[in-house]
Amino acid sequence: MQHRRLSFLRQPFFWWTLFLLTVIVIGLVAAFFVFTRGLVVTNLTDLVPWGLWITIDLSAVALSAGAFTLSAAVYLLGSKQYKGVARTAVYVGLIGYSMACMMLLLDIGRPDRFWHGFAYWNIHSPLWEVTMCVGLYFMVLSLEVIPVVGRADWLQSRWPRVSGSMLQVHKLAPVLAVIGLGLSMLHQSSLGATYGILKARPVWYQPGLAVLFMISAIVGGLALTTFLSIAAARFSSRAIVDRTVLDKVARFIGWALVVYLYMRFWDMLSVSYTYAPARSEAMQMLTGGPLAFNFWIGEIVLGIVVPIVLLLLPPFRSRRAFQTLALLLIIGGVVAYRWDTNLVGQLVVVSHLPHVLEPLYTHYFPSLIEFAAGAGVIAYGLLAFSIGVRYFRVVEHESVAETSKAEAQSVPTTPKIA
Amino acid sequence: MNTTKMDRRSFLKWGSATLAVAAVGVGVKGYSAEKPNSAETKSHSPEQSNHRWAMVIDQSKCTGCDRCVMACSAHNDVAPDMAWTRIEEAGTVGDRPVFMPIPCQQCQNAPCVDVCPVKANHIRPDGIVTIDYDRCIGCRYCQIACPYDARKFNWEVYTDDNPAVPEWGQPDIPRRPRGVVEKCSFCYERIDRGLAFGLTPGVDQMATPACVVACPTKARIFGDLNDPESPVSKALATHSSYRLREELGTETRVYYLPADEAAVPEA
Repeated sequence: MQHRRLSFLRQPFFWWTLFLLTVIVIGLVAAFFVFTRGLVVTNLTDLVPWGLWITIDLSAVALSAGAFTLSAAVYLLGSKQYKGVARTAVYVGLIGYSMACMMLLLDIGRPDRFWHGFAYWNIHSPLWEVTMCVGLYFMVLSLEVIPVVGRADWLQSRWPRVSGSMLQVHKLAPVLAVIGLGLSMLHQSSLGATYGILKARPVWYQPGLAVLFMISAIVGGLALTTFLSIAAARFSSRAIVDRTVLDKVARFIGWALVVYLYMRFWDMLSVSYTYAPARSEAMQMLTGGPLAFNFWIGEIVLGIVVPIVLLLLPPFRSRRAFQTLALLLIIGGVVAYRWDTNLVGQLVVVSHLPHVLEPLYTHYFPSLIEFAAGAGVIAYGLLAFSIGVRYFRVVEHESVAETSKAEAQSVPTTPKIA
Repeated sequence: MNTTKMDRRSFLKWGSATLAVAAVGVGVKGYSAEKPNSAETKSHSPEQSNHRWAMVIDQSKCTGCDRCVMACSAHNDVAPDMAWTRIEEAGTVGDRPVFMPIPCQQCQNAPCVDVCPVKANHIRPDGIVTIDYDRCIGCRYCQIACPYDARKFNWEVYTDDNPAVPEWGQPDIPRRPRGVVEKCSFCYERIDRGLAFGLTPGVDQMATPACVVACPTKARIFGDLNDPESPVSKALATHSSYRLREELGTETRVYYLPADEAAVPEA
């Protein structure tokens, strides 16, 4: 009896959940300090007012882009084979956007006024556009997730009518895919334009940022969804994936990375010619200064070049471990791109003296409280995903699930999962 | 300048109106039907006011004594580490140091007004850029967008006694709450109050920004660009001047008279 009561201690899921809950509690303590004492507990300054939390916001939104990409593939392009992955993607997307909202609530000085963006419109501000789109897209994702949750077996057996009406929402899927595509393309690029329209910061002031944010989001979003699907299938018996479908997504990511690399190359090269005050210093910072490791190793080599090789060259492509590694590296590369882009424009302080070409430099390293709150939000995301895998079967590719069920019934031996 | 701006504005207006209709199906009549004489357009055309306030800072006269900073901090109740006007060293002329006081430059094409997601930044018809502290959400995008680092964020609540009060003056405005951005306002409360009493800003001390009044060497000059007899109009007519980061097209309302050796007073 005693033995059975403590059996949950032998479940990895219990320890995983306990670990995540601990990180979340630490994050909540950090949030308590932020709300009671103010943003003085961060290492942000008037010269670097956007730091780690903005990077997490940007990354969470970018890495959620799998939702709109795969929904569009399924319901607009008619590639029904991706239906299962799309289901995972919208669930991941909803979590990602809720993470971004939580992080933003900490980051803005007046969280009690978060609704002002919806009430007082400044249609000239990219950030207003992002606010509106994220708000609306959050609703779209919620509607898309309702039937995903409604599919759960226990829900269907216990409350069949609730489950039935939740599944009804699925009829909206094609409409939601169109709206989601529009809203996502708008705000994913606007997040780049948030920086790109600022004439005061020469290294940002260019149209490329909007396009690059968009493409890197598609790449990163697909990579996260695919990676999480593989990880779930590896660690949970309740996740069933169709590897042939995931392989196709992975190859698409590989080719999308080539496009991303091409655009990034010309983007970087075009701003590296002729000296321009502050812009050249910022480029120097990226290519040879404090951000150089992040840039060359994190963004370019590990974030783009290595994954292209691993995902597209046949000898590597056939090895699943390399594929998983490549997806993880891509995610890291997208986060590194957001971190570098956000900081590079702020760390170089333009001189106000005319004809003085000597810019000043400032620095930023997040405080412990920033790290703790950020880790808390990330832990929430992982916990929400784990719960989704375990209780709502958000990683369950239908074709495989059905065949494996059929095999399990007809053949008594262990079913083979493709 | 103005035509291109209107083009972009109407483009954005129509673009977002169309998108809003497509996305949520809400009526956007209020936005799309906006006529040039509506309140919003007016606020972006300072030329429609009778006044165009400007400040001239004569670098030949500035000694970097910080009295303007103290007076500003007292009258606007600013925390010591958040001064609304800062004084930078700007090299030397001859063997004397030259200073550059930097308040908010009051851009007429103000990036902060453009980027604020909640319209908490406004540009008044007389050209003064103001912040609505009750509306600001503290996202700090304006700080990122400001070419002059003129904006300060309230990282914590300011409860201490203000060391500048009462020696340098009494606060004219309430303290700002924690979590909003603040900046130099050209002391528009003093200007508005003075005008109501029939005074002339830039001439009568009661109606003039506190830093201008406090300057012992009269390095700061204030007045109306529309009035050819105002101190600023006269100073700009007789001296060469420049503005900060003019290449950005921000059309600032703070002019600098460069220090020249002959004009720098003996120490």
